[in-house]
Formats: sequence, C-alpha cells, structure tokens
Amino acid sequence: MTRLRRTLFPAFLSLVLLGSVYAFQNSKQSYPKPFRQYPAVEYYNFPLPPDWQEKAEWVFGRLIYPAVVSYPRWTMDYPRSDRHLAQALRRLTRVQVRSVEQPISLDDGDDVYNWPWLYAVEVGYWNLTDAECLKLRDYLLRGGFFMCDDFHGTREWENFTASMKRVFPDRPIREIPDNDPIFHVIYDLDQRYQVPGAQFIQTGRVYEHDGFEARWRGIYDDKGRIIVAICHNMDLGDSWEHADNPKYPEKYSALGFRIAANYVVYAMTH
Amino acid sequence: MFQFLFKYPLAVFEKGTIVFLAAWPAWILAAAILAAAIGLGFALWKRMSARGGAHSLRGAAIWMLQSALAALLLLLLWRPALSVATLAPQQNVVAVVVDDSRSMGVRDNGQTRLENAAALLNGGLLSDLRKRFQVRLYQLGGGAARIDSVETLKADLPATRIGVGLTELLDGVAGLPLGAVVLLSDGSDNAGGIDPGILASIRARRVPVNTIGFGEDRLRHDVELDKVQLPSSAMAGSRLEALATVRQGGFAGGKTKLSVRRNGQVLASREIALPGDGKSATEPVLFDAGPEGVSDIEVSLDALPGETNAANNRLVRTLSVSGGKRRILYIEGEPRWEFKFLRRAVEDDQNLQIASMLRTTPNKVYRQGLDNPKELEDGFPSRVDDLFGYDGVIIGSVDAGYFTQAQRDLIREFVDRRGGGLLFLGGRYALADGGYDAPPFPDLLPVELPRHARTFRRDPAYPYLTAAGRDSLLCRIEDDPDRNVARWKNLPYLANFQDVGTPKPGATVLAEMTADNARLPLLVTENYGRGRTAVFATAGSWRWQMLQPLADMSDEVFWRQFLRWLVADTPGRVAASTERAGIIDDDNQVRLRAEVRDNSYLPAADAQVTAHISGPDGGKTVTLAPDENEPGRYSATVAAVKTGSYVAEIVASRPGGELGRGVTVFHREDGTAENFHQEQNRALLQQLASETGGHYYPASAARRIGNDIVFSEAGISTREAHDLWDMPAFFLLAILLRCSEWLLRRRWGMV
Repeated sequence: MTRLRRTLFPAFLSLVLLGSVYAFQNSKQSYPKPFRQYPAVEYYNFPLPPDWQEKAEWVFGRLIYPAVVSYPRWTMDYPRSDRHLAQALRRLTRVQVRSVEQPISLDDGDDVYNWPWLYAVEVGYWNLTDAECLKLRDYLLRGGFFMCDDFHGTREWENFTASMKRVFPDRPIREIPDNDPIFHVIYDLDQRYQVPGAQFIQTGRVYEHDGFEARWRGIYDDKGRIIVAICHNMDLGDSWEHADNPKYPEKYSALGFRIAANYVVYAMTH
Repeated sequence: MFQFLFKYPLAVFEKGTIVFLAAWPAWILAAAILAAAIGLGFALWKRMSARGGAHSLRGAAIWMLQSALAALLLLLLWRPALSVATLAPQQNVVAVVVDDSRSMGVRDNGQTRLENAAALLNGGLLSDLRKRFQVRLYQLGGGAARIDSVETLKADLPATRIGVGLTELLDGVAGLPLGAVVLLSDGSDNAGGIDPGILASIRARRVPVNTIGFGEDRLRHDVELDKVQLPSSAMAGSRLEALATVRQGGFAGGKTKLSVRRNGQVLASREIALPGDGKSATEPVLFDAGPEGVSDIEVSLDALPGETNAANNRLVRTLSVSGGKRRILYIEGEPRWEFKFLRRAVEDDQNLQIASMLRTTPNKVYRQGLDNPKELEDGFPSRVDDLFGYDGVIIGSVDAGYFTQAQRDLIREFVDRRGGGLLFLGGRYALADGGYDAPPFPDLLPVELPRHARTFRRDPAYPYLTAAGRDSLLCRIEDDPDRNVARWKNLPYLANFQDVGTPKPGATVLAEMTADNARLPLLVTENYGRGRTAVFATAGSWRWQMLQPLADMSDEVFWRQFLRWLVADTPGRVAASTERAGIIDDDNQVRLRAEVRDNSYLPAADAQVTAHISGPDGGKTVTLAPDENEPGRYSATVAAVKTGSYVAEIVASRPGGELGRGVTVFHREDGTAENFHQEQNRALLQQLASETGGHYYPASAARRIGNDIVFSEAGISTREAHDLWDMPAFFLLAILLRCSEWLLRRRWGMV
C-alpha cells in the first residue's frame, strides 16, 4: 500500500502541475463567455430563435449592473427588445448581427472587452461599484461604445450621473448637436422627437416624471468621438420591444430603430 | 626539392608543353610499349607454367612492374622534352607595380607593408629582374604612375583601384615588349574587387600579372563596421532599420555598442555581441526617420581598448525623408469592428490618410477621411485619375462582384503600372468566399485561393511570426527581434480567421496562425509589377486593441508599420535614383537616373527632365537625356567635386505643365574605404594572377619570381626545348620499379 502511494503521489502531483500550467497558459487569453439567458423582470422564459448559436460580427451587449433597488433593473425589456433590434438591424443594415443578445457583467474578468458594443437600460437606478467604474472607463478608452436609455426626469438623471461621474470624473456630458455624424451615418435624423415607453399606451403621455423633453447627450473622447451615448427622457428600449405591438405607435418604433442603426454603425466606424 | 627531382622550376612545367625529340613517330613508341608488355607477359607465363603454376594475381603484379619499367625505358629513348617560350634576355620590359595606398601603411609585425615591399625589392629582387629585363617602376593608387624608386613612396594615396591602375599601365606601355607585370599589394581594392570587364581586358593583353601579397590574412585586434544597409529615402516619422555588418579579429566573445546618430544626436543605440574571429554578423538597429528633410545618418561602433584601427568603426549614409500624406483608399463591404479599429490605429500617423467607403446598407455608402465632399461620391473609382491619386488600396469584406470589369482592370493597373500597394483583408465576403477567384484577382493575390467555400470562420486563431516575419520591419512591434517574436506569441488571439490557401512561389509569409488545429498563412506579401500586394487573413485583429492594456501600442504599431509598408514605395510620376545606392567612393561622378510617367502613369518619352543639385560645391542644374531603348527613362552623369552629401531634385515637365518631381540623394567620400578591409585580400590577388597567366606569391616566397617570370610569351620570346630524359625523377622511378619487383619476388618465393 505504501509502495502504491509512493508511485501514485508523484504521478498525481505531475498531473496537477501540468494542469496548472495548462490553465495558466489559457488564462492569458480572455475567451468570450458563452451565451446565457437570464430570467427577466418582464419575460421569464422567452423562446430562443432557431439561429441563436450562429456567430456574428455584432452582438447586442446588455450590461448587468448593480441597482439601488433590489430587483434586477438591468433586465427591463430584456430579451424581447434586444432581439427585435437584432432583427431590425439585419433588415436595415449590412451589419452581420447575432440573433441573441449577450448579458455582460463588468465584474466578469476581461469578458467585457470581447464585446465592443454595450447597452444599459434604466440607468437611473444603477449603482456601479468603484471597480466597475474603472473597468467601464478602461473599456471605453480602449475603443468600446456604451449606449444607455430609458431613464427619466431629474432624480433618475442625478442617480445616473452619480455613477457616470465616477467613470469619467473629467469628461463632461454634452448635448449632441444635430450635425454630429452620429445622426447622419445612415439616416439623417435632424428631426427627432421624444420616444415614449409602453406606458404611453395607457396614459397617452410621451414623458415620465419631470422628463418633459428628450435629451440626446454624449461623452466624447479626446479625438471628438462619442464614446457614451446617453438617451435621457425617452425609452428606445420599449420602442424596440413593442415594435410588434399594434397599440404602440409605429412612428416611435421607426425612430427608435433608426436611432439604434445610426448609433451601432457610428460605434463601428468612429 | 621540386627542381632537384624534376630538373626545372614548376613554372616551366606549367607554361611548357611535352614534346619528343627522337626522330621516330610517337605511335611507334606506343606499339613498342604494347609489344614489350605482351612479350614480357608471355615469357612470365611460360616460366611460371613450367614451375607448376602460381597465384595469378601475383603474376599479374610482377608483369605490371616489368611492363612499367620497360615502358619507362622506351619513353626515355624517345627523348621527352618540355617546349617552353622564354623571354629574350634584356629585350623585354617588366613592370613592377607597388601599391602606395594608405592601407600599405598598416604595420604588420613592426614594419609597414610598404616597408616590407621596399625591403623585398631592394633586397635583391629588383637587381635580379634588372639582370634579365628592363624594369619600370610604377606607383598604384586610384591609377598607375611611373616612379624612379620605391623610396619616393609614402603609403598615403587615398584609394586603391587595381583594375583601373593596371589598365592605365598597360595602355601606357602599348608598343613596348612588356614581358610581365609584378604587382606588390595587399589586395585591398576600394571597388570591392576588379570589374569583370576590366579583368577581361587585362587578360586580352596576354601579359601575365604576377602578384606578391603583403599583410596579415586576418584582422588583428580590430573591429570593423563592414557594411551598413539603410534605405536612402523614407516617409517622415517612419521606423527605419539599419543593418550593420560587423567583423572582428582578436575580440571574440567581446561586446561593443552599436549607435545611430544624426548631427551628433544619438537616435538609437544598443549593445551587441561580437562574432567569432574572422567572422561577420549582421546586427539590426531601429530608429525613427524623423521629420521631412535630408540628413546624414552615422552608424558607428564604440572603439574597444587596444583596437588597432578605429577609423573603420563608422560609416555615414545620407537619408532623404519625405513629408506629406500618403493616401490609402479603404473599401469595406459591411460595418465591422476591424474597420473601426484599423482606422483608429493609424489616425495619429501624420503621414497616412485613409479615405474610406463603407457599405452600411444595401444602397448606402458612408465615406470618411475625404479631401473634399466630392471624393468617392460616385463610389469606387472607375477612372485612372481618380484611383491613381491614391498610394494604396485596402479591399475588405467586399464581394468581388461589387466591382465592374473596368474597375477590376483598373485595380490591376493600379498595382502594376501605378506601383501602388494592394491589401486584401479577410472577411465573409472576402477572398475565396467573396468570389476573388475571378480575374484579375488570382494574378494579384500572393496566394492560390482554396477552391472550397466557407473559408472565413469566427473561431479563435493564434498568430505567430515566421522566420521571414522575424526579420521583417513590417511585423516589428518590439525593436529586439527575439522579444518581438515573443510579443507576437503573447498577442490576444484573433477573433476570426480565413483560409487563404497556399502562398505562391515568390510570396513571403511573414506570419502564420494556428487555427482549427492547423497552421494557416496569416500575413503574406508579394511584389507585383511596380507595386506590391498583401493578404491579411483575418478581420479580428481589433482584439489586440480591446484585449490589451490601454497603454499597449501593439495594434497601433502593427497597422502603422503595415500600412506604411503598403505605400512607402509607391512611386510618384518621377522616380529618381542613383547608381551604387548613392555612395560615391573615391570617385567624383555619379549617374543620375529618372523614370518619368505621364498623368496616366504611362512612360513619358517626350518630357523635359532637369535635375537641380545642391551640395558642398554649391548648386547647379543639369539636363537628363532620354534613354532611346527604354521610353520614359532619363539619365545624366553629374560631377560631385567635393566630399559630402548632395541632394538632386529631378523635375519632369511637358509643354502643358509639370509632370512631377522626385528627390534622390548621394554621398561622396574620399579615402574612407582605405580604412576598411585592411587584411590582405589574398583571394583577389590569386584571382588576378591565375586569370592573367601569372602567379601569386606570398611575400616570403617572392624572391624566386625572377626565375619564374622568364617563361612567358608576352614580350619578345624564343621557344626552347628542355630535355627531360635525364630528369632524376625518371631514374628514381626506374630504381623503384625494379626494387619493388625484386622485393615482391623474394616475398612470394618467385626468385
């Protein structure tokens, strides 16, 4: 028994060492996380499209963030809006789009760097940690693009900027002028209007809280490129989500898709 | 010893021919030898048969020895002799040529080479020669000049041109009975050797050149910067590589510092390990080309303690750096991350501009990097003027069917005639998946595309450099080649890859990738016509930017170097150049050349081409004459009176206006080459002697030259026959044959 132990122990040790070396080698490469569907606030078990496993150039990266409330606000509209947008981009542009989104956490090692497009919903409730702020800044300066949407009024704005100021303490949030390329890269979108959420169907109001006016804002890098696109006082996510809802006005979804198409192609060209 | 055995010097045998002085014909000798052999064989067989037989091999050996002796005796009866031409005494001239260049002033074992040569001549060689010939003394430098005595020589001439000097000498003595030339030299020729044409003309004079070599065969306690390879022109801000070839003797295992300077300012410097004694090694050193302008680049090695010659540690080259932007047209068939990150990687490069057209939707094109709003308004250029305005073209994920046949033909002409660079990127509509097996793309591509579809895959691929990539500046992310190879191995994997097939013969594979358990070409380049093409078999290098720290510049450096390679050598309408890479060594003339093209980049044979030259001796303008055999080519010989760097701006024009202009540089230096290659160039001296019918002698064996050069047909000579029958070697051979037979008979009991 002792002899057997003496023989097996070095062999076991060697295997452990070899495994460690292999793991270390592979750990140097950051492979993208596989697709995973989370239970959402509105959709618990949404069906997968038949081509969900097909790899593509562009993937809708949805940011998983910690919120000031207990339930996962990041899943709002998810995954229905994401997949409607994917279909629309396939139809409207030449971008090769994956049919399903990719939920991404800034706490998941280097995974976020594999997905140069990132979207977050209801950022009026987000509450990024310091580490997440640093990661998001690094991601954006390396070349990533971040679009946020579906937050309304003064209070949500202040909560949004509380985290955003920690991402970029020295970069101001600016109004995007109409002549910025982001509004012309595919569609000329000088004439924009406020895009309401699905609450419009019940209330007939295009605004929420005190967010009476749609604000198209952004954060620019040193070369004058938008790296963060901030859609305040509007709900583009709902305009994608409810594009197939006959009660939701088509004109809002039409603008929502055009805005998204411009933002996506801008992110891939600037 | 040779002369003791064979009666005459070796030179007699080399120059002479064998003849028989006996009156009987040679065929009788052959018949007699045959008859003697048969008779001896028959007699031996009969005698051995009478004794009851013996071992047949032993009998054959005895028979062969007897026959050989009989043949030798018969040969002597026919009186063999050597017929050789001999210079008539005191009727011929012998030219004694002494190398008086600076390298002859190098001290070997206490005395200079010139002192050794003078000692040899005054120690009896000259008097020996004068007893038989009329001797003329010459001094050799850049040419040959007659002198009265060797005492006037000082080893101070700045150059040695052996071929030119000998030609001058032979021309000067035409009409005189020149029997031989005796050259005393270290063989250090500034031209690096004797031009084959000059050597052929010397050989045609039928005058043997006998050479006496001086100097050590190897470098002693010296490090030499043998050669520097550096382009004479570059784009502003380019990363350049100087390849320094270093030789040394006596410092094996040592180290020194290799530096590059401009106007005394160190641009780059690194420590290098010296090669073994007598060996050479080429060391790269990278530096920034700097801003637009012309400057002298000095490459040097730090002198080592005890080094005998520090003057050969430094070389100067002239570099012309051009400013302005090189423009690249990038056509992309679909929005993708590679497009964005490629554009970003080079946006800070002041000398590159990417004008791009991107198909965003089936019927919309988004243009960026334009010079004016009209640029690319009608899509991909269909006219020569529009496309040839760019220096390079990148074709991304664009279906080949997007181009009309006229556009395809124009792309070929862009590379072939315009001399532009063409880069194919991988993609789902690119290369084999994009229908690029249709003309003219198979000709342009540096690879043979695979015949199957779905060659583009979105799976990881791991890049690494090939041996060619290791040496290429194009792939240099790190200055040090070994660290660069390691850096490539540690790059993040590529997001996707494309099987581009097999590299063509003549193509260079700079990088490969491991993908799907196979090794595939990643970066392949090739020259095509006046231009160059490349394939980069991925659209996933953007991960090098996103997956590495913000401060990491791998992606930026790679794309800048790659795109600069693509366009740096794209010529303008006037391509100016000089011979010998712009280095004029101990010469005062340079040949300027210009290749002139019209607005469509067709050869312009009717242009007015002038060169405005500025340099140390002021400025001047010369007109270049057209080459009748090659339309569009012009040339002129220009004098460079003073040493230093010269800039020639060549302007081509037609009555309608200026066609274009180009700049070339050249550098004249005097006496520099004498500091290099100071060991004896024995190979050159031996080649010169053997090709002209002379002999090479080391200085220690040169005294016998007087006896040897007598045998020559060059001057006034008589042909003499020298008997060989009484040569001691024959008698020794006869005794040896007879004794061998006797010894064998005793041993085998056949006495």
